Amino acid sequence: MKKLTTQSRSVSLSARTLSLSIGTIALAWTLMGSAEAADISLPPDPGARDASTLVSFACAKCHGASTNGISISPIFPILAGQNQVYIATELSLLRQHGRSDPHARAFMWGISNKLTDQQIEGLSKYFSSLPPVTGKPSKNPELAAKGKDIYLNGVREPKVVKCAQCHGEVGAGTNNVPRLQGQHPDYLKLQLHYYHTKLRENVLMQRNVANITDDQIDAVVEYISTLTGEEPPDDSPSP
Amino acid sequence: MRLLKLGAVAAISLLGGATLMLMAQPAKAVPPFARQTGLACEACHTAPPELTPFGRRFKLSGYTLTTRPPLVNDIDDYKRNTVWLTDLPGVAVLAQIGYDHYDRAPPDTGQPYPAHAQSDTYQFPDQFSLVYAGAVSDKVGAWMQLTYNGQAGSVGIDNIDIRYSDHTYDNKWVWGITANNYVTFQDVWNGIGSYTLPNFNTVTLWSGGVAGTGTSSPIINALGPGSVGGIGAYVWFNDSVYAEFSEYHSAIAGGGTPTIDSTNLAANGGEVDRFAPYARIAYEYDWGYNSAEIGASGLYVNWIPSVGYISKQQAAAAALAGNSYTPAQTFNPGAINKYTDLSVDWQYQYNGQHNIFGFLGHITHERQQNSDQLVAATFTGASVPIYNNPTDTLTQFLVTGEYWRDRRYGGLVSFTRTTGTSDPLANGGDGSPANQYEVFEADYMPWLNVRFILQYNAYQVVANNQNPFNLSNNTFPNSPGFPNVKASDNNTWVVGLWMDY
Repeated sequence: MKKLTTQSRSVSLSARTLSLSIGTIALAWTLMGSAEAADISLPPDPGARDASTLVSFACAKCHGASTNGISISPIFPILAGQNQVYIATELSLLRQHGRSDPHARAFMWGISNKLTDQQIEGLSKYFSSLPPVTGKPSKNPELAAKGKDIYLNGVREPKVVKCAQCHGEVGAGTNNVPRLQGQHPDYLKLQLHYYHTKLRENVLMQRNVANITDDQIDAVVEYISTLTGEEPPDDSPSP
Repeated sequence: MRLLKLGAVAAISLLGGATLMLMAQPAKAVPPFARQTGLACEACHTAPPELTPFGRRFKLSGYTLTTRPPLVNDIDDYKRNTVWLTDLPGVAVLAQIGYDHYDRAPPDTGQPYPAHAQSDTYQFPDQFSLVYAGAVSDKVGAWMQLTYNGQAGSVGIDNIDIRYSDHTYDNKWVWGITANNYVTFQDVWNGIGSYTLPNFNTVTLWSGGVAGTGTSSPIINALGPGSVGGIGAYVWFNDSVYAEFSEYHSAIAGGGTPTIDSTNLAANGGEVDRFAPYARIAYEYDWGYNSAEIGASGLYVNWIPSVGYISKQQAAAAALAGNSYTPAQTFNPGAINKYTDLSVDWQYQYNGQHNIFGFLGHITHERQQNSDQLVAATFTGASVPIYNNPTDTLTQFLVTGEYWRDRRYGGLVSFTRTTGTSDPLANGGDGSPANQYEVFEADYMPWLNVRFILQYNAYQVVANNQNPFNLSNNTFPNSPGFPNVKASDNNTWVVGLWMDY
């Protein structure tokens, strides 16, 4: 669409009549494009194709009213600063109903139903570029210390894989592994519960937390909620 | 004395206009919104019809959020929509069925006591509605409801709310215009107005009652479909501050010249004179799973009352006063009463993963300035005086606590107490308009759009002439009346089914 519009503009410099014809085609193309992109962006404002408008109209209602990606209710995850590839992957999964935990069904199945690939890309860029939230000091240091051990070292028997292995020592994740730092504790607990009970699809996570107990979930989430800072460089020594 | 009774009977309606409420069935949540948005009911409701913060934003945004592809969509050269038609019109059916059991068989209104009457009533259906609910265009949405009312046995226009809404790019400001036919129907909280909890009612006294008079209630609760139409503007800032100003006008259903012809007035009814301003402010603060709101509202109404004669005896009493009216004639005395309703409401909501609970309610104070033409001391009307006091007051206090587990099992307890100035001409007996009752409700929601309800309504105080068991003050002036009449005669069990699809 963009290419054709550019073409029509350049042609118009040399032949006005031709430019009008091509302009007409461009308009038709635009109309077709808007029909193709009959998507989530309702109010169906055809001028509102960019991600921030989508966020303003749809996402912000749950994930931060002022479009900052910071939700108020722990039912909804904080998306500010979340890793781009992870957001895009999850949105694609939700769009095709590849995630079927209860909240995915209740909220995201419908709202993501008509997202285009371009919109998913735009949304993931938008949210990943927002200033992230960081953790806060624990009010239960004893529990956090127990969680720290699980987070950094895992549990030997029955086996629970250490979170830091993929999510990093400060919970910032990597491009396709979600950032945990600053996330709502209740949201994290619920997701761990979903993985543990296999309500949320992700074979790796299901296996990693197959043996986790409710007490361990409470502890590790307590620790995650204290995480701050950025991941140390790969070559730095572990603390 | 006879004249006093006549005035009392006429005044029942003037206080509350409860008969107008017969067609004003509460609106419910509807599946079209879920179909339109792709979101499950729980996105907008804790348990229908109570709204979550998201539900409030959805409504204030004009019901326009959708994920449905348009079937027809056209734009102009400036990329503005010229038409946007969904592939799935938002049509729904609402149905309510109720079975009521009275602790004491209420009077047979066709025969004087001691005619035999039944203790049970089966409302099948109590309400059956067809609703259009959803986006009309990119910035306009509507709720339009057509209802069969089981108690009235008729079909009529019910709640209507048509909205235009827009917002700033960063979503900080949402503003809109609402055109509706029910004062408070546009509200988004549940401590006051048409969505006040408890919301399921059939024919227990507080919701209309066996005699159709209901309990004393401020006039703000009575201006509904078939009675008024209004338009208002609102702003919603930062998901926290709400301000609205609306104006309502009489819009009597069923009349060719609905607002200027007193023959359109229902017996024991009345209508709004000119415009009735309504203002509303509220502040909401959300944190975690919690949402708290405190608000205030005000309504001013110039009210043209109508007087209904209901018996030959009372018509004869009027004749003694030099006036000639036939029984059951509705009479516009040409007077205007002035009502000022001021309310404070609150709502606390915990909307957790598994547990939901809420605590909400309101206090409404009403000041009713009665027309000199109708007050005994200054009476100048053609009929009979119907008030003792130039000014009457009424204060209603309602508080409700509710709990839901996994949106499946739930219940509520509600307490309502109404007090006011003593006005024997208006209220009969000792003149008190007071009432007090509790509602206990247990709910089972196997699906979010199917709900079974068991409810018990317990009354401690019922105003003298609003108690249907007080036959001497109500339907049968010469009847000896029920022996040992007490408020708890009105206690009612209700078994209900509520479905939306």
